[in-house]
Amino acid sequence: MTEESRPHKLPLWLFWSLASIVLWGVWGLVSKIASEGVDAYVNQLLYTVGLAPLMVFVGWTVSRKSRGNPPEPGKLRQDRARGIFWAFLTGILGGVGNLAFFQALVKGGKASVVAPVTALFPMVTVILALVFLKERLGRVQWVGLGLAFVAIYLLSA
Amino acid sequence: MQIWLGFAILALILWGITGVTQKLSTNRISSERSFLWFCWAMVALSGAVLVVARPHWGLAPLVVTCAIAGGALNGMGAWTSFRALESGGKASIVISLISLYPLLTVVLAVIILGERLTGMQTAGAVAAIAAAILLSLEAPPANPGVL
Repeated sequence: MTEESRPHKLPLWLFWSLASIVLWGVWGLVSKIASEGVDAYVNQLLYTVGLAPLMVFVGWTVSRKSRGNPPEPGKLRQDRARGIFWAFLTGILGGVGNLAFFQALVKGGKASVVAPVTALFPMVTVILALVFLKERLGRVQWVGLGLAFVAIYLLSA
Repeated sequence: MQIWLGFAILALILWGITGVTQKLSTNRISSERSFLWFCWAMVALSGAVLVVARPHWGLAPLVVTCAIAGGALNGMGAWTSFRALESGGKASIVISLISLYPLLTVVLAVIILGERLTGMQTAGAVAAIAAAILLSLEAPPANPGVL
């Protein structure tokens, strides 16, 4: 069924976007509850346990899609290895970021303050993209960057 | 500076860097394969954490459930965000919309945990969410914790 033939239903992209808001929004809450009883390290261990079923599902999807594909030429294989390297590094940085997030909650940060502060992470991405990827910022993003610094100041009060 | 704020800013910086490394990865491999290797890195990190962590028995069931649910919720949030982008949602709109997620955390924390924000912190939370939305407009896609 196409998007156009579902006039009274939520567009799929909107449904998935709202699902992301709910899932991540609740994540902040349950992380705070967990941090009342475990340290950041154990929280990260249990977090990985929770991630495991999805990892199995995605692994199954990837293997099903790649089944029967012809072997890749050397250059593509090299490109793929680089992609895997960056993905692995993303996981390590994301995991250490999680530890810092959990530690912020363990050390007394309120979920209602820590979540908005950490949600400002696109400011770092934007600055890095500006410096290293030579991407240009629009006026809106410059305003967002300035507002992010103001927000951190206000939230730390 | 309060210590919790230092850790929150550290998380912000590390997750911010993943916005770039994720893009470098998905420029070369599919988002699914990238997610899978991201998960393997989480498993490897957990192995390292086991060396320093002191897991002990007798944790409250609610705490264990919440911590495990945290991993599932965050991972599924990443998965649904990919679905949103693949279902025809314009990246700038999808990512900006998803940037509203801390608003839900704030509401739930106030209602369920009874947290109270000062006037300055309320203004800060509103400014943070507005800033995240503005920054997400045409910014490289990135999600908290997971990809």
